[in-house]
Amino acid sequence: MSDNDQPRTATDGGTADAEASAEVTEELPAPGVGETEDHEEHALPSLGSVKRWFVTTNHKDVGILYIVTSLFFLVFGGTLALLMRIQLWQPRAAAGGPLDALAYNQAVSAHGLIMVFWFISPFAFGLANYLVPLQIGAKDLSFPRLNAVSYWLYLFSGLLFGISFFQGGTFAGGWTMYAPLNVPKYMPTAIGSTMAVLALALFVASVTVSSVNFLTTMYRMRAEGLKMRKLPVFSSSILLTVWMMLFAFAALLAALLILTSDHVLGTQYFLSPEGGSLLWTHLFWFFGHPEVYIVFFPALGVMAEVFQTFTGRRLVGRKWFIASMVLVALQSFIVWMHHMFLTAINLEVKTLFMATTIGISLPFDLMVFSLIYTMIKGRIRFTTPFLFSFGALVLFIIGGITGVFLGAVVLDYEMRGTYWVVAHFHYVMVGGATALFGGLYYWYPKMTGKMYDQLLGKVHFVMYFVGFNLLYFPMFVVWETPRRVFNYNPAFTPWHQAATIGGFLLGASFLVMFYNLFVSLRTGEDVGDNPWAYATSAEWAVSSPPPLENFPGIPSYRGGTLSFLDDVVPASEVETDGGQEAIEADGGEVVEPDGVYATHDHGHDSHASIWPFGISLGMFLTFLGIAGLRPPDSTDLVAPGAADPVLVGVGGVGLVVLGVSLFAMAREPFYTSEAPIAERWPYAHVEKVKLGVWMFLGSDVILFGAFIGSYVFMRFNAGWVEGWHVFIENPIPGLMNTYLLLTSSFSVVLAMVAARKRNTPGVIASLLTTFMLGVGFLINKYIEWSHLFHEGHTPSAGIEESTFFLTTGLHALHVISGLVILLYLAWRAWGGAYLGEDEPIEYFGLYWHFVDIVWLFLFPLFYIL
Amino acid sequence: MSDTKLYTIIYVVLFVFATVQVAVEFAGVLEPETYMIGLTAIMILSLIKAVLVAGYYQHLRFEPRGLTYLMLGGLAGVIALTTAAAYSIT
Amino acid sequence: MIGYASLLSVPLQQLVPRGTRVTVFQNIFWVFLVLGTLVGIVVIGYMFWNAYRYRDGNGKDYDDGDLPQLGEIPKDGGKGRKLFLSFGLSAIIVISLIVWTYGTLLFVEGQDTGQPSSDVGVENKDPVVVDTTGYRFNWSFEYENGKETNGRLVVPEGRVVQLRVTSDDVFHNLGIPKYRVKTDAIPGETTRSWFVAEDPGRYRIICYELCGQGHSGMIAYIHVVPQEEYEQFINNESSLSEISASDDESGRLAAAR
Repeated sequence: MSDNDQPRTATDGGTADAEASAEVTEELPAPGVGETEDHEEHALPSLGSVKRWFVTTNHKDVGILYIVTSLFFLVFGGTLALLMRIQLWQPRAAAGGPLDALAYNQAVSAHGLIMVFWFISPFAFGLANYLVPLQIGAKDLSFPRLNAVSYWLYLFSGLLFGISFFQGGTFAGGWTMYAPLNVPKYMPTAIGSTMAVLALALFVASVTVSSVNFLTTMYRMRAEGLKMRKLPVFSSSILLTVWMMLFAFAALLAALLILTSDHVLGTQYFLSPEGGSLLWTHLFWFFGHPEVYIVFFPALGVMAEVFQTFTGRRLVGRKWFIASMVLVALQSFIVWMHHMFLTAINLEVKTLFMATTIGISLPFDLMVFSLIYTMIKGRIRFTTPFLFSFGALVLFIIGGITGVFLGAVVLDYEMRGTYWVVAHFHYVMVGGATALFGGLYYWYPKMTGKMYDQLLGKVHFVMYFVGFNLLYFPMFVVWETPRRVFNYNPAFTPWHQAATIGGFLLGASFLVMFYNLFVSLRTGEDVGDNPWAYATSAEWAVSSPPPLENFPGIPSYRGGTLSFLDDVVPASEVETDGGQEAIEADGGEVVEPDGVYATHDHGHDSHASIWPFGISLGMFLTFLGIAGLRPPDSTDLVAPGAADPVLVGVGGVGLVVLGVSLFAMAREPFYTSEAPIAERWPYAHVEKVKLGVWMFLGSDVILFGAFIGSYVFMRFNAGWVEGWHVFIENPIPGLMNTYLLLTSSFSVVLAMVAARKRNTPGVIASLLTTFMLGVGFLINKYIEWSHLFHEGHTPSAGIEESTFFLTTGLHALHVISGLVILLYLAWRAWGGAYLGEDEPIEYFGLYWHFVDIVWLFLFPLFYIL
Repeated sequence: MSDTKLYTIIYVVLFVFATVQVAVEFAGVLEPETYMIGLTAIMILSLIKAVLVAGYYQHLRFEPRGLTYLMLGGLAGVIALTTAAAYSIT
Repeated sequence: MIGYASLLSVPLQQLVPRGTRVTVFQNIFWVFLVLGTLVGIVVIGYMFWNAYRYRDGNGKDYDDGDLPQLGEIPKDGGKGRKLFLSFGLSAIIVISLIVWTYGTLLFVEGQDTGQPSSDVGVENKDPVVVDTTGYRFNWSFEYENGKETNGRLVVPEGRVVQLRVTSDDVFHNLGIPKYRVKTDAIPGETTRSWFVAEDPGRYRIICYELCGQGHSGMIAYIHVVPQEEYEQFINNESSLSEISASDDESGRLAAAR
């Protein structure tokens, strides 16, 4: 513990003014000022070098990487949109337009996928990455290397998606990927479509790592005095966004894994006439609806910040605003069937979801009014950020009103599949993007230390706003145009032409932005800490750009305002004079850093590692390989194409790269530290890595839950007892596996106890026992599956076989992953690690017990019932 | 009681419950007439086992409630999804 | 404006719109549109007015001595009561609108099987039931007496037609814009819809769910004919029974994927 031996000094609270703060404890090199300070192996190269961007783990760098990369995808997705608008210039016969039907379908699908996944959320998270640690008073995120992993996984997933275009064409079934169009039997773009699905799965991996990271950070690294309800609205919005991401994306991953399996293993989920098609819609929309709020919430957070700053007033009804966001986040998981009003669902369920849908629109009403009332008695400056946020609110109001039409089921009956839906969601989603661009203009000076040309910013806004409305408003007028077709009613032509012109104007406006922001990097006016009057959050109290570790001391809100302490004193020891606010009873948690993870004895934190890049490269190559697989027996598949041996070979290389990088990252000395005093409710006393593991397990619950739910749904649809052909007659192999797994859980627990008692032989023996039991489980399964295959029960034989093999197969993959980690732990224990310190074994145990619990449900569901 | 003893007792209970679940099938409870009873009994046994592993092996009983709520939240989500989806096609 | 004229010409016999799908939709859509536009204009207008009135440099200063300070811990801006008033008002509007449409939803849902209600407004209450199957890339129809047609639906005028819709391959959606019909066509499931075949003529049946390369050209035709012609058709006594070239103009692709 770094401060134990030094005498503690009380500091005055001080103001946020950097000059008045107490002495700086560490040398904090400003970026761009040559090489960093010491000879530590994790010295961060300077901003000018290419290498820096490959090894950095600093949240500000990662934020910039996200922003730049997402803007690239904006151009990619936007170009596809312009191609579509050219096609839609007039009604086209099948071969009459610039794009043929297959190309048009690909453009439509890729445009949606790229914009929703690879542009808008990463753009928001670029801002979040940069700002959230600053706003909450942290030096970085909880797991800096994982943060870099998230970014590289994102970049590689986008690359994988791009490559899919060249593998026979990319996915051509719409961004909603409805079944069974999404399986090879109906999708002509064979390997390309598989690759696109895998690219999205890789993206989900990036998102999951990111959500675990942000959640752990926001629950453990808030500055003293910064309670949850006191967070700046932008950070609150990000917190709720990552909660939704943690759960929603796991459901999408389940859908994507099942779809990938239908592609490469020949399982029959989505081709099954017993509800395969509906299964996809349930899984996808259970994810899909929270997703639109995941996209929108950061924009809401930006709007709140920008409105406050540029009106010079605090947000009206702030606590109701935040309560509304919480309500929406919760409700977002119970509205999904409003995308399915025209499917074969019954009237009762339609009524329920109509009610919940209207319910979720109400908190938005409150938030809209809150923003509007914030303007009253303000001193409003129409800077570029404010113009964009104000414009975003206008667009969102229009989009929201048109959404109420869709919530009325009788209207939805007619509007389904038409441009009313298209216009509605573009108004709300791109309305959200509008706010995010405002956020970029707002925080650009903070990130670069330069101010851009305000006039050009306003020119961008005018072109943008006119182009936007010219593009999307006509879609309401000609709402009866069916979606994803290019031969609409000729009477609609003038409106579609106006939309095309608007699209080009909107696209052109971005040229202004790119020029402005790029040139200003060099020639822009220098700014100080805070170029915006009335900005209040912590990022404006440090230099522009901030120093590497963000703050000139330890941030604290102890006195009610931000101050930087050069040392930390528990609240009870601070002398108070009459002027300071009384410290609340449940004030900052004074938590002794527990275990070896919370702090370190080295003077400096680490900021660089190449292994995140390595891991992501490995995953990328592995997924390339998986895309090249094809099922060995093509029963119901029409010309699925052959496997691609080159791709599969590349996949093998990828696994090696992945394994080496994971091992190297585990062995690498990398130091992070946490402030000794921080707000940690409600997870005080849960150590950082443990909290991260639990968050991850939370998303794994959804993953397995969705798989099990899929089985339940399909079996229920077919007729649980009568319609489902149960082919596992003998439950004994399953029971054997249950015994093996239960015993392995027991032995892991014993290993943990042995580590606490510093009993090395005990630790090694229990870990090895666990390993052997796990291997036994797999061998038993191998024998069992061989028998089943021999009897003709292969994964592609039918829906009963598909659900059995894929669900238990996913579980087996989890077991294999656990065994790899176990081997590493046993090897380390052999070398004398884990004496008196049982945390790694405990945390591994958490994962292993979870895998055991899943089996406790799989076993009866698949072997007995 | 010491940790090790508690863990051992739980292990034995888990072992026995797993065996009972298979015994339910061999006892013929899963014939069409009594199927739902058998299903309910078997799933309740699994639930108890899961709670024991989560509460003691994963130590959730002694951790801040927030962690339990985190897992229960995820569980609630997938149960809502499965139930609503199944109900919607009745 | 045309819209207002048609709105006034539809007699609102009762508070809950009932009638053909066309009148019901028109009714509800126009109420929503008028209200929605009004609300939009009021709210956005109010936004612009505030932005103008409180612009910096308007000569007034509302400094109440408690301006936001850098580094302050986030605080509430107050005025919660006004917020709840507006919120309450908008909630009432939205909820009333939806509750109002619920009655119509129940009505619409009730007409797709059995005898239609008298509110639908047809004399001959016997429904014409047609089984419809979507496939890549056309629609086929099977009538009550077993007769089948492909790409063409023939129905007698002035009757209620009840459709039972499914798909042979992928997820399609059947829509007849003229009669405001829309329903998903899902493989393995059957959905239902209905309409009143008023206004004899030939109209389009369009697919509204992306189903592959031929999606843009997946168009069939509905012929609404007098009762006697329908009788002839259904008993294979009329020229409509043979496929005529004019219905083939939709540019249907060959059944490639």
